[in-house]
Amino acid sequence: MVLAVNIGLEIHCQLTALRSKLFCSCHSDYRGKKPNNNVCPICSGLPGSLPLLNQRAIELAGMVSLALGCTVPDKIRFYRKNYFYPDLPKNFQLSQYNFYGISSIGVDGKLDYTGSKKTFIRRVQLEEDPGRLIYETGTSDTNFYTLIDYNRAGVALIEIVTEPDFTDPRDVRIFLNKISSIIEHLGICDTKLEGSVRCDANVSIEGKKKVEIKNVNSFKEVEKALTYEITRQKTMSIHDIEIKAETRHWDDLRKITKQARTKEEEQDYRYFPEPDIPTIVLGNEFVSSLKVNMPELPEERKVRFVTDYKLSEHVAQVLIDNKEISDFFEVSVKIYSSPKEIANWIVTDLMGFIDDSEQKGSIFSGLKIEAKHVADLARLVDQNIINRSTAKTILKQIIKTGEMPSQLVANINASKIDDAGVIAEAVESIFVREKSAVIDAKTNPNVANFLLGKVMQLTKGKADPKIALNLITTKLTESN
Amino acid sequence: MANLCHLDSRQITLGIKNGDFSAEEYVSQILERIEKIDGKINAFITVDKEGALEKARLIDRKIRNGEQNIGPLAGVTVGIKDNICTSGLKTTCASKILEDYVPPYDATAVRRLKESDAIIMGKLNLDEFAMGSTTEYSKNGPTHNPWNIDYVAGGSSGGSAASVAALECAISLGSDTGGSIRCPASFCSVVGLKPTYGSVSRYGLVSYANSLEQIGPIGKTVSDVVMVMNAIAGKDNRDHTTLELVPKYTLNPTKKNIRVGLVKELVEGAEPEISKCIYSAMDLFSSLDFKCEETSMNSIEYSLSSYYTIAMAEASSNLARYDNIRYGFDLSPDGYEWNMYFSKVRSNFGQEVKRRIIIGSYVLSAGYYGKYYLKAQKVRSLLKRELKSLFEKYDILIAPTMPLLPFKFGDKIEDPLKMYLIDIDTVIANLSGIPAITVPAGFSNDLPIGLQIMANELQEQTMLDAALIFESATNNIQRSPDL
Amino acid sequence: MGSMEEIRHLGLLSKLELTDQELRKYESQIEEIIRYLDILDRLSLDEIDPVQSTIKFSELRKDYVETFQGDALKNAKHRKDAFIKGPRMS
Repeated sequence: MVLAVNIGLEIHCQLTALRSKLFCSCHSDYRGKKPNNNVCPICSGLPGSLPLLNQRAIELAGMVSLALGCTVPDKIRFYRKNYFYPDLPKNFQLSQYNFYGISSIGVDGKLDYTGSKKTFIRRVQLEEDPGRLIYETGTSDTNFYTLIDYNRAGVALIEIVTEPDFTDPRDVRIFLNKISSIIEHLGICDTKLEGSVRCDANVSIEGKKKVEIKNVNSFKEVEKALTYEITRQKTMSIHDIEIKAETRHWDDLRKITKQARTKEEEQDYRYFPEPDIPTIVLGNEFVSSLKVNMPELPEERKVRFVTDYKLSEHVAQVLIDNKEISDFFEVSVKIYSSPKEIANWIVTDLMGFIDDSEQKGSIFSGLKIEAKHVADLARLVDQNIINRSTAKTILKQIIKTGEMPSQLVANINASKIDDAGVIAEAVESIFVREKSAVIDAKTNPNVANFLLGKVMQLTKGKADPKIALNLITTKLTESN
Repeated sequence: MANLCHLDSRQITLGIKNGDFSAEEYVSQILERIEKIDGKINAFITVDKEGALEKARLIDRKIRNGEQNIGPLAGVTVGIKDNICTSGLKTTCASKILEDYVPPYDATAVRRLKESDAIIMGKLNLDEFAMGSTTEYSKNGPTHNPWNIDYVAGGSSGGSAASVAALECAISLGSDTGGSIRCPASFCSVVGLKPTYGSVSRYGLVSYANSLEQIGPIGKTVSDVVMVMNAIAGKDNRDHTTLELVPKYTLNPTKKNIRVGLVKELVEGAEPEISKCIYSAMDLFSSLDFKCEETSMNSIEYSLSSYYTIAMAEASSNLARYDNIRYGFDLSPDGYEWNMYFSKVRSNFGQEVKRRIIIGSYVLSAGYYGKYYLKAQKVRSLLKRELKSLFEKYDILIAPTMPLLPFKFGDKIEDPLKMYLIDIDTVIANLSGIPAITVPAGFSNDLPIGLQIMANELQEQTMLDAALIFESATNNIQRSPDL
Repeated sequence: MGSMEEIRHLGLLSKLELTDQELRKYESQIEEIIRYLDILDRLSLDEIDPVQSTIKFSELRKDYVETFQGDALKNAKHRKDAFIKGPRMS
C-alpha cells in the first residue's frame, strides 16, 4: 500500500562568516573557548542591556533569501518569542515572524533540485542561538544540577523553513546537499564546524497528525531519521494505532526516534515586535546591491563552466557539488589554461582520493596535492612530455609527497625518450640479443610486439612506444 | 559655614569654581543632611559615602591644579533612581529579586554625568521595577513626602523627587514610563522633566516598558533640569531608539508670542483646588502676553487603557529574565527541578509586579494580540495625529500634572485600578513620545500642585522657555520644606 | 477572563506560582482591570497603522568584535569550574 508522505524542513545555519554575534560585539566563534568567557551584558541578558543589530547579518541573510528565490521586503522587524528555558538568557528569543504585514528577511521562495523537482521555501529568518546546557553525567535525568555555558548565546542563525513538499527522504538528502552547496558558495557558514548546521523535520502520512523530529545533528542523519519515522508511522497506521502530534528526538546511537520529554507543543509564545529594535528600512538599493556583490551561486557557476570552459554538464555538476573542488579547478585553470584536461584529472582521478565524509576542515586535508600540481601535470601531458599512464603514477605519488610533477619528472628522468637515435640504439641492442625472435618476427608480425616489449624493458618504459615500434618494423623489413 | 544644601546646580558649580567653598565641604554637608533626615523620608536605598567623597576630592584637586577640563556639573550632587545601572554600586529596583545585584557597567546617562564631574551620592527608592505611582510598592518601604511625612511622595521615582525637595541632593535622575518622574515631582513641589522619547539613552535603564519610558532629570529649578539634560541627552550607539540629537538647551527665553492650549478634559477631571490653580496659571500666562485658549482632546478617554495594555505586555516579557541564575539573590539551584526553581525564585516579586506580569501575558496570548496590544499601538497613532494638529495651533499645551493632591499612605493601595486612574494626565506624553515638564504651581492645604507643560516632539526648548518664564513669575513658590 | 483557574494558568506561563490566597485576592482585581482595558474595543481603527519608529539599514551596528571589559557574569552566585550552575532539567 502506498501511503502519501509529507515532509517539511526547518534548517538552522549559523552565520559563522560573521565576526561578531547578532546583537552584540562579542566574538561569534565560541568553539574551544573557556566557558562563560565570551559574553557581555547584552548576550547574557543583564538588566538594562539593549540589543544592537549586526548590519552584516542582514546582508548575509538577504543573500541566502535571494539565492533561494525569496522576496526580500523593504522593511523587516524582529520579534520576541517568549518562553522560559535555562539556556535562554532573557527567557525570550529574538527572532523574526510573519505577522500583521511585516515579514522576515525572505518569504515565498523556491528551489529546484535534481532537474525537475522543486520545493517551496516558506520563509528565511534571522534569530539568535541560545547558550548550551551541559550534563555532567551525560544525560539530563541523572543530574542534581545543570551546567550552563553562555558563550554561544546570541550567535546569529538563519532559519530556512520549507513547505511540506517532500515525499521521499532521498529527495531531502539531495535538497540538503544543494543547500549546503549554496551556503558554501555564499561563504556564510562553514558547514564543517560542529553544530553549525542543524535540520529539524516534520513528517506526516496520509494527512494524519504531524510529528516533529528534532535533535538531528547532521544533514546526513536526516535521511535516516526520516526513513525510520516514516516506517514507524506507516506501521502504526496499518495497525490502526493513532499517530499523535508530538515532538520526537532522533537518537543517533540507537538510530530511532523517541518521544521528547518536554512538552514542547503546548507553548504560547506571545509574539510581539521587539520595541528596542525599530523597523529596519532596507532601502531601494539593498537588493540590487546584494545581487551585484554576492558570490556566484553554484547553478550560475555550472552554467559558466559549460559555456566558458566547454565542460560537459555532468563534469560541471561534479565540480560544483563541492565548492572546494570547483575552487581548486578554477585556480588550476588560471595557472594553465586547459580546462577539459584539468577537469578530467580531477573528476576521474583525484576524486578517488578525496574523502568528503564527516571530516572537519578541508576535504583535501591529509593530501599534499594543490591546484598548481594538477595544472603542471596537465601541461606535461598536453605537451607530450609524459604519457598518460606515467602521469597517473605521478599523481599517486605527489598526493603523498606534494612534489611538483615537473620536478619529479626531472628527478627520475621520467621523460619519454623520443630521441629517435637513443631508441634506435636500444632497438639495435635488442636485435642483437633476441636473434631467434627477430627471425620469427619476419614471418609472424605479432612477435614485433614481443620485441617492442623488450625495448621498453631495456629503456625502463621510457621509450616512446610509437617510435620504437616504427623503428622495429622498419628494421625488420630492411633486413629482409 | 553657610548651609550649602539649598544651592541649585548653577550656584554649586559657580561656588566651587570661584573657590567660595570646596566640593568636599559641600558633599560633607549633604552627607550630614542625608544622615540627619533620611530616616524620616526614606528616599535613599544606598548611600555611597566613600565614592562621593573620593570624587569630591578629585574635583577639588583638579581645581587647585588649575586644570582646564572641569566638567560643567562639577561638584553637583546627584541621586540615581535604583533602576538605573551604576557600575560597582548595588542596583536593586527595590525588589528582592535583585537585592544583591551589582552591575558591571554604568548606564550611559550615569557615565555622562560622571564625565561632567557630577557627584553620585547613592541610589534612590522607587516602586518595585518602576511599577506604581506612590513608591508604596518598594521592598524597602515607601518614601515619605517631605511636605508631610504621612503622605505619599508619588511614584515610581518617589526617592528621586523627595531627595531633591528634602535637600539631600541637588538633582536626581528618575525614569518616566507613564508619569513616574512628573508625578512625584509634582507631589514634592520640584521640577521634573520627561524628555522626547529617544532623547536620552535607555542603555542601563532596567526595562519596564521599553517603547514608553525615558530617563529624565529632577531638580529644584528649571535651570537644574536644563543643565542635566545638556549632560545626558543625545545620540547613543548603544541604544537603537535614540535620535540624532546634540543637546544645546539654553536658559535664555526669548519671549516670542507663545501660543498656549489648555487641555479642557484634563483640567475638568482634576480636583477643584487643582483646576483653580491651573486656571490661575493660564491667567498668569495671559498677563505675560501669551495667547491662551482652552482646547479639547478626543483620544484621552482611550489613553489609560492603551497605556496599561502596552506597559503590562512589555513588562511581562522584560521581567522574564529574572530567574536567579545569572544574577539575583542567594538561593542554590542544587536539587531543584528547573520549573520549580524558576517559580520559587519569581514568587519573590511583589504583588503589583505579579499582577502586571499576569495581565501582560494575557493581552499577548494567542488570539488576543489584535484586540489589545495591536489596538493599543493604533490608539497611539491616533493620539499622535491629534497632537500633531494641536501643535499646529499651539506651541505648548498645559494641564495639571496630577488630577489630585498627594494622599495618605494606604489610600489607594487596595484598589489597583483606582491607582492606575491617577496617571490620566501624564500618560499622553509617554504614548505620543512628546516632552513634558512639571513645575511647582502652588499649594492647597500645604500640599503641592504641579503645572504640566507639554510641547511637540523635540521642541523641548519651547517648553523650557515657557517653564522658565512661569518659574520667574512665581518665584515665591517654595521648593523645599523646612525639615 | 478572571477566573482563578485562568489566572493560575497565566501565572504558570510566566513561571509565577500563585498561592490560593493570592489567586483569591487577584481574581476580582485582575478582572476589573481587564474590563477597563476592554475600553479599547470601542474603537475599530482598521484604517490606522500602529506607531512605528524606523532605523535605516546604514545605521545598524558594523560587524566588529569588541570584548567586554569586565565580568558580565560576576553576579552568578553558583558555579562549577567556569560553568554556571542551574537547576536540573526534568
